[in-house]
Amino acid sequence: MKCTCYGYAIIVFFALSLTYSIPAQSADMTAYQIVKKSEDLLDQAKDSKADMLMILVNNKGQKRERTLNAFVKRYGNNKSKSIVFFSSPTDVKGTSFLVWTNEKKEDKQWLYLPALQRVRQISPSGKGESFMGTELTFFDMGSQDIDDYTYNLIKDETVKGELCYVIEATPKKVEFYSKVILWIRKENFIPSKADFYDTKGQYQKQGIFENVKNIKGINTPTHIEMHNVQNGRATMIELSNILYDSGLKEDIFTERYMTRGN
Amino acid sequence: MRFIGAVLIALLWIGLTSLKTEAFQYEGDKGKLSLTGYLEGKAVYAFDGDTPEENPSVELGLELKASSASWLSTKIFLQAVDDGKVINPKNKALFNQFDRIYQDKNPYVNINEAYLDIYTGKVDFRLGVQKFAWGRLDEINPTDNLNTMDLTEGGTNDEIERKIGVPSLKINMYSDLANVELGWVPVYVPYRLPQPDERWFPKVLKPPEIIKTDTLVGDIPVNTIYQDIDLPPDTVGNSEMGVRVSKYIGGWDISCSYFTGYDTLPLMDAPVDLTVKLLNPLALDYQINAQVTMVPEIHRMDVFGFDFTTTMSSFTIRGEYAYFKNKYYNQKLDPVLEQLVTKARQDEIYKDFIVKYLASGGRDNVQVYHIDPHIPIQEDSMKYGLGLDYIHGDTSVSIQCIQEFIPNYDEDKPVYFNKNGVDTMLTFLFKQFFLQNTMEFNMRAAYDIEFQDVIIKPSLKYNFTDNLQGTIGVLFISSKYNDSLLGQFDDNDEIFAKLRCAF
Repeated sequence: MKCTCYGYAIIVFFALSLTYSIPAQSADMTAYQIVKKSEDLLDQAKDSKADMLMILVNNKGQKRERTLNAFVKRYGNNKSKSIVFFSSPTDVKGTSFLVWTNEKKEDKQWLYLPALQRVRQISPSGKGESFMGTELTFFDMGSQDIDDYTYNLIKDETVKGELCYVIEATPKKVEFYSKVILWIRKENFIPSKADFYDTKGQYQKQGIFENVKNIKGINTPTHIEMHNVQNGRATMIELSNILYDSGLKEDIFTERYMTRGN
Repeated sequence: MRFIGAVLIALLWIGLTSLKTEAFQYEGDKGKLSLTGYLEGKAVYAFDGDTPEENPSVELGLELKASSASWLSTKIFLQAVDDGKVINPKNKALFNQFDRIYQDKNPYVNINEAYLDIYTGKVDFRLGVQKFAWGRLDEINPTDNLNTMDLTEGGTNDEIERKIGVPSLKINMYSDLANVELGWVPVYVPYRLPQPDERWFPKVLKPPEIIKTDTLVGDIPVNTIYQDIDLPPDTVGNSEMGVRVSKYIGGWDISCSYFTGYDTLPLMDAPVDLTVKLLNPLALDYQINAQVTMVPEIHRMDVFGFDFTTTMSSFTIRGEYAYFKNKYYNQKLDPVLEQLVTKARQDEIYKDFIVKYLASGGRDNVQVYHIDPHIPIQEDSMKYGLGLDYIHGDTSVSIQCIQEFIPNYDEDKPVYFNKNGVDTMLTFLFKQFFLQNTMEFNMRAAYDIEFQDVIIKPSLKYNFTDNLQGTIGVLFISSKYNDSLLGQFDDNDEIFAKLRCAF
């Protein structure tokens, strides 16, 4: 159980981190500047919370659902705390997962399993691993250093009626992907889709970011999909009840709330 | 026959679960209410047909949670059980009782937990039937003593299932300095045991059927009676209390704890009534029968504990230590009983018998001698352990080494589950998820170094849907001894299958 819960907290961060983009005067921007612009806006909201529905689809089309509530609080300098509470299915209901992130130190993580009634500190899992059976890896969901990649603006392309920059991101050191192709909407700088290539250079999976809603002035994609073309599986994520800067209390991100529930 | 029952249950469930099951949930301005639950069936196939059988069991669990304000909530978790382990129930009560060791009932309702939570600024209160969870080790927590144990499955089931919810008050205080948890159990709730004829009754609590003597009397037949517990008066002095102070410092979760109360596991004295009958006065030919009454005892003890968790690289390290002051242990029964009927002791009895026999004018040709061997003996001890976890994606591995040490061990008074003052247990847990977490392989194992006990419990769990889950597994136990912790269940190897429908 514990190994698969990792990352739920971060997925919210991941999903929302893709959203803090605003229209820019982009006539002569380089690929790096386009990506950097999003990066610079990541810490705009001091806190956020959302309900999530995750749908896991296997290669036979069978679906399984997970629902959870997620809370994130940012402190600047890449410090943050996040906590998620699992609502369903019943065998994981009541489970909670807390992460304290500090750029200069290793993440600290705690897991509460109602079946054990104990909060336990756990070590971060392998970044290349899938979590909770989804097509997202811990690496996908973690915050990544923009300077770990080189960027190349390939062309402009229209995706579902929206004009996008097409940018190739190549890691300076290949660990999990050999390259990622990003489609970033020109209108609001929100990614529209992303193609991921494995370390052997083979096309592995595609991320899709849709249903953009303006919430408290922040454009937010509320429907995210990840399709793994190699194994035929997919993961869909629906975000709802999103709130930014609602003044989340500090003690939500503690053992007390892990056991108490949200 | 047992498997036929299991198959019928399985078919019934498949029929039931083809319907989409939904929990009841309400969320409004004035609060939240949810009712969830499960229906679970279990079938067991025993490898050894001579061991007591276990029929298929069915369990319905219902959990109600409600909150009417941000500061008030309640939880009630009830289990209605048709328990296949209980073969010949005599107790007609519906609910499991908080004052009995031998519940001896089927079907029954168990109040797993039922409590009220009150949250204030920096203090939380929980009042009602609840389970505490202290310590950092898996399954064996020497610092965790506020709840007693349900041993009707021999302790082979999960820790949370073994633990008995106790009526109590818990107060949690939170501050930047440290978090403090106080637990108060006003009335001791005894551990639970199966009936002596059931599958998981501990063999060490069964006196021998005969006491061997080296005299002309030969073997003395033994009849055993099991008495339920006499609880101490309901006074504050007889209540149990614990306090635990926890703090997160530099990547380490550490706690110190203190507990004063009773042992969570069985302690039993075995007073013996020796019935001496003079068969032939001229030849001084005697017949002796023994009746052993297994009388539960409870003794107060103090436990001073310390535990910690931290992570290093990809590993989680956990540790726990407890010092037990005034703890009691059960002495091994056989040598104690044999000491009661040595030749010298018999000679004393015969001499006394003759005096009384003659004084009664030959009428008292049957006399009863009551002997109290005082089986539980007091030995201060300590128990400590270290655990290491490694998690990588869908794989997790956990190993632990847990040792009990009795510094002033008396070799002339051997106690159960300890050899010369030491008992060391190694535990191993391997978990692997497959098919997007649809399938889970779980391997639990433990090895006792001193007694060479082994228990291995591999199982495979498959989620047919989010609500329907099937598990099949094997329980294998082996030991060189038949009176060690696991060796007493050496014959209980079995295959088990479970089907669970959650809603």
